[in-house]
This record gives sequence, structure tokens and C-alpha cells, in this order.
Amino acid sequence: VALGAVELALMYSGVPVDPSWVVVLFPVVAWVYLAAGVVAWLRRPSNRMGALLTAAAYVWLAAGLVNTPVPALIAVGLITATVPLAIIVHLLHGFPSGRLRGRVSRVTVLVGYVVCVMLQAPVYLWGQGPAGPTTVLQIDDRPDLDRIGFWVQTGVGLAVMVVTAIVLAARLRAMTRAQRRVVAPLFVYGIFAVIFVPLTGAVAEFAEAWGVGLVAVQLGLLGAIPVAFVAAVLLGGFARTGEIEELGAWLGSGGGARRDVAGALADALGDPSLELLFWVRDGSGYVAADGRRVPLPAPDGARAVVDVALGARRIGAIVYDATLIADPELVRTAGRVAAVALDRERLTAELRASREGLRRSRARIVAAADSERRRIARDLHDGLQAGLVVLALRAHAVWSDPNAPPSMRAEAAELHAGLQTAMDDLRELVHGVMPAALTDRGLGAAVEDLADRMPIPTALDLETVGPLPGAVESAGYFVVSEALANAVKHAGAREVSVRMTRETGRLHLEVHDDGVGGAGLTGGAGLRGMADRVDALEGSLSIESPPGGGTHVIIEVPCAS
Amino acid sequence: VRVVIGEDEALLREGLVAVLGRAGYEVVAMAADGEDLVRKARAHEPDLVVADIRMPPSHTDDGLRAALEIRAGRPGTAILVLSQHLIKRYAFELLESGPAGVGYLLKQRVADVDRFVADVGRICSGGAVLDPEVVATMLDRARRDDPVARLTPRQREVLGLMAEGRSNAGIAERLTLSEKAVVKHVSHIYDELGLVPAPEDHRRVLAVLRYLDRPSG
Repeated sequence: VALGAVELALMYSGVPVDPSWVVVLFPVVAWVYLAAGVVAWLRRPSNRMGALLTAAAYVWLAAGLVNTPVPALIAVGLITATVPLAIIVHLLHGFPSGRLRGRVSRVTVLVGYVVCVMLQAPVYLWGQGPAGPTTVLQIDDRPDLDRIGFWVQTGVGLAVMVVTAIVLAARLRAMTRAQRRVVAPLFVYGIFAVIFVPLTGAVAEFAEAWGVGLVAVQLGLLGAIPVAFVAAVLLGGFARTGEIEELGAWLGSGGGARRDVAGALADALGDPSLELLFWVRDGSGYVAADGRRVPLPAPDGARAVVDVALGARRIGAIVYDATLIADPELVRTAGRVAAVALDRERLTAELRASREGLRRSRARIVAAADSERRRIARDLHDGLQAGLVVLALRAHAVWSDPNAPPSMRAEAAELHAGLQTAMDDLRELVHGVMPAALTDRGLGAAVEDLADRMPIPTALDLETVGPLPGAVESAGYFVVSEALANAVKHAGAREVSVRMTRETGRLHLEVHDDGVGGAGLTGGAGLRGMADRVDALEGSLSIESPPGGGTHVIIEVPCAS
Repeated sequence: VRVVIGEDEALLREGLVAVLGRAGYEVVAMAADGEDLVRKARAHEPDLVVADIRMPPSHTDDGLRAALEIRAGRPGTAILVLSQHLIKRYAFELLESGPAGVGYLLKQRVADVDRFVADVGRICSGGAVLDPEVVATMLDRARRDDPVARLTPRQREVLGLMAEGRSNAGIAERLTLSEKAVVKHVSHIYDELGLVPAPEDHRRVLAVLRYLDRPSG
């Protein structure tokens, strides 16, 4: 800041360029760069953008020296006059980490500096300084050589810019949409500014009249660049070393409102796409937070992986966007800070994975129980019942034989009556195991059957739902059966209604009664068992049963068949 | 009377043959699955088809479908379907094929020989026989869904007089009751019909409307 003030003072003490306000812009632009650089440096200490911007500030000050009356300083100003452009090229290639990635970038930036430092030589060796006819560096007055130098510099400079534009366009294409939204305007603006400035310089060669106004526009354009960079740095994904401490503090805070560790890491490291994977203890691989197994991304892609360990024990991995976070060490540090919390979440993820396994095995058990019920019902039907009918027929034959002794006939009649009772009981038993209406005609017919057996008015609103998976049908049937039985037995309901619909692959069943209410899953084993059945099918069962307000049992089961 | 039997359980099939034979029916063919039953019924053109509902190949309602197919081909054929369990829809489907000469009975009724033979006789002479359990279920259902049917005979009498436009005093005089007793009956009728007091309702009119509106008349 002080240097800028000194430079200003020098400008005004000497022969001011007319109009003098333009020269003020040089230190002002330098201050803007300085401010942007300092902000970036403080907010992201590991990021080199801040350092680059700060360096650019000093170069701008140096370039501004051309407008001072001191010949030595004018020389410095002439030498550095175009270096700011090279630094902007460097910033564009280095974004967002400040480090150059790839050989093309490194060569292009190097050529940029060569163009701005070496090819500037003709200007101060053979050309005329803006403050006077000669400078201390001038060895000969050769406007022709100066001219050639100028065109070579402009040509090579443009080539550098074209390559830069191509590199940046390629990077933009590889970015995610979110990244592109932040970075694209910056790249476009940067390329425009750096092409515009030398181009207008060249055009101005032919149109002298543009003069100082043009210089002002150029300086304004270039001066806004650091602001754009800092905005992109802070808005877009940026390694926030400074926030690692904050991350630690957050992890230590505990409390109920904590988000997951992955979210906190994503915030701290500035990569919204960051994923946290957990190492399963049996060594079989990584799982995501929901218990899903996930493979690690290929090491050469845009996604990079850093292992997280607690002591010597591997507990997980952080998968991040390598284009947003250049420094894996930073991710590793964040991982170390978060390791303990991560381990806890790992246990949670492990638990979820085993819970998923449990759910599957439960679904298998329910399905097995169902097919077992069907088999039992069929066997009872086909064998036992026919056998009983035949026995009863023989008892009847004995009873109706006029030659048989009366005592035997009486006994046969008794036997016949007993067999009839046994057949009634068997029918009830089979019905309870797996009702024929359900297996033969589906859920709708079976629910109608239930309603027929109800001692209280039972309204049905049954949509034709088409064929359903066997397990869904059984679950729906047993829930309705249980709810209807409860309405009569426990709720003392006067009326009950059943509704069945199917929407977008989900079967929806409701049973409403006008009984005493107060029912819940904790009350009896009946509904609890039903809830387990529904749960095993990834469905939901809910009971609303306010005291005195009736009972509403609602289930929803996925039934994409 | 010539009969074709469809029953996949050999023992039961023999039992049916014996029962029907002793009652004077002539069993001309037997089948053990639905398709065979249709084939044999076509070949023999029997007067009566007795079919077990659950038969191969699908072991669901093959027997019923076969019987309906036979009846569609020869509408005069009497049909008796037997089943381990009663499913109301089966009874409806059967009756829809024409209410004359049809029967739907539980298998176990076969062992109640005298009654079974009488039922078969009614079916053959153009009657419709439904298992008493199906009938009971339907009647229960009709009564259950009709609140007027749930009233006591005395309450129904009172409601009837209300429908004739009598006042409580008039009803009391007709039934030789105290007017207070009539008021009590009326309030029970309101309860039974689910009519709660509401400023915008006239409960006496609503009760009479329910009485006149009921399905069975």
C-alpha cells in the first residue's frame, strides 16, 4: 500500500501523462490485486492463488513505474509492462489450486512469461519510452526493430492465449455442471480480458485517437480479474485448510443437530461431491453410508481416493474430486481429524449393511412360511378331507344297513356325526392356514370372504388390483383379517370398512373401524406379527387409534410384479 | 338319469359312484381332471355333471370352469359342483350360468347321504341348491347390513306405525302402551339406526325413510 502511495506521489511530482487520472489506475489496480491476494491467502493458506495474486500486485506496481519521472524506474516499468498478462495466464491455468497441471499448461505459462519478459526487450532497447524520447536502457533508436518486436510479441502472445483457451475449454468440458457454473464465467472473462488487451493494443497502433480512454478500459478489465478469481475461489470448491480446525471443533461439539461426517468434510474441503466410504471389518470391501457396497473409483479418473486410518487400522476412504482439491495431503489431514467420528459412522454403516442382510433373510423366511402354509393347506385338502368323507360314507352304510344290530347302528350314527364335526373343524383349520379364496381367486375375493364372515356391517371398497406377488397377497390378507378380528373382539366396533387400491407399484390397504380406539403395535402379538410381515416386504404399517376415535390400520407394500 | 363324475380323489370318486348308483343314477363316465371331464361330457351328453371344483391340472377351480364350459355347450345339463371350501364368488358364477339345474355343495355333504341324494334329485328336476352355509352367510350379511332388520319385533312395529304417520300418542293407543314406553322405543330405534341428534335433522322423518327404503322392503 505504501509503495503504491510513493508511486502515486512520484507520478504527480514528475511530468504527468495527460490526462493524469489514468496513471492513478496503476496503483489502484495493484491494490485490488493485493487485497484479493491477501483475502485468498488468508482464507485458503494452502492455495497458491493468493500468492500469485499478491505477486501480481507487485508486478502491477512495477509496471506503473513507467509513469514516474525517474529514468531508472521508467526502465523497470517498461521491462515489466506486460508481465501482468503472463500472470493472468498463469492464474487461469492454475485455477483452482494455483498449481499447474499437465505439460501443456506448464509450457504455455512458461512461454507466456518469456513473451512478456524477453520479447518486451525490443521496446526498451530500440523503442521510445512514453515519458520521453529515450530511456536509460535504449541502445539505439530503431523504431523499425521496435515495430517488429511488437508484432512478434503480439503474435506469440495471441498464440499463448489461443492454447490457453483450448486448455480451459477442455477442462470446462470435463467438469460437473455445478463446477462449470462457477468456473465458466471466470474462464470466459479471463480469456476475453487477456485477448482483448493485446488486441486493442495492436488496433490502437492504427487508431491513435483511442489514446488514454483505451488504456483506462484495459486497466479496468484487468483490474477486475483478481476479484473474479477470488469470488470463484471462495464460491467454488476450494481446499479450505483454514476450515480444518473448524471441522475439528464441529466434530468435538457433539449434540443432536450434527449432520453426517461426509457432509462436514464436504463443507470443510469445499467439494460437494465428496463421498465417504467405510471399510467393512471382515475385509470384504467398502460400503457407503446406507450400507450399500461400492467399488473404489479407478485411480486415473477425475475422482481421487485417500485412505483414512485410525491408528494402524483402516477404517474408510474419502473419494473426492481431484479437479477441485489438488492436494491429497489436505484431504488426508481432514481425514485424520475426522477419523474417530468416521469410525463411528463406519460402525453405523456396517450395522445398516447387516440390517439389509437381515431384512432379506426375513423376507425369505416369510416367503418360506407362506409356501409352507400353502403346501399344508393343499395336503390337508387333497388327502385328509377326502379320507374323512369316505369314512363318513362307510359309517352311513353301517347305520343304514337294516341287518346290522341296533347298537352297532347307533354307534355308526355317532361316528358319522363325529366325522362331520371333524370335517367342519378341518375346514376351519385349512381356512386359517391359507384360505382357498386367496390362493384360488386372489386378495379381493379373500377379503370379500372375510367381510362375509363379519358379524357387523363391513363396507368394502376394493379396486381390482390385478395379480399380486404371493407374499404381498398373504401379507395383505392377514393384516385385514387381524384388523377385522380386532375391530370385533377388542374395539367393540359397530361398523368397519376396508379399502384396497393399487398405485404406482404399491398396494394400499386400509381398515377403519368406529370402535373404542387405543390400539397399538405394542398391545398384542397379532398386529406386531403383521407389522413384521409387512416390514419384511419393505412396506409400512401404521395404526392410528386415538382413544374413542376408532382404529385405522393402513398398510402400503411395494408390489411391482 | 345319466351322470358324468369329475373327481381326482379315487376313493371319493368310488364313494360318489356308490351313493349315486344306489339312488338309481347311472354313472356313465368318470374323469380325474378338468379337460378330461369336458371331453367325456361331450362324448356322453349326460343329464347331470358332478364336479369337484379343485382338480388337476391347476388345482384351483378347474372343475368349476369345466362345468361352466359343459353347460355353455349344452345348456340343459344339470350341474353340481363340490368343494372343500365355500367361496361366494363360485356360487355367483354358477348361478350366472342359469339358475335352473345347478348346485353348489360342500364335499362333506356327500356323506350325509339321504340329504345329498335329495339335493341331487332337486338339481336334476331344475332346482337350484346352494349349501346351507352359503345361504346362511348371505342371509347374515343381508340382515347385518340392514339396520331395520336388527330392530326387535316391537321396535319394528313402532317404526311401522311411525311410517303410517301416527304420533307417539297414537302409537301408544294402538299398541296399548304408555306414551312414555313409546318414547323409549323411538329413542332406541334412533340409536339402532345410528341417528344422532342434530339441529338440521328431523330424526323421526329420517327413521321412517330408512324403514321405507330398506332393500328387502
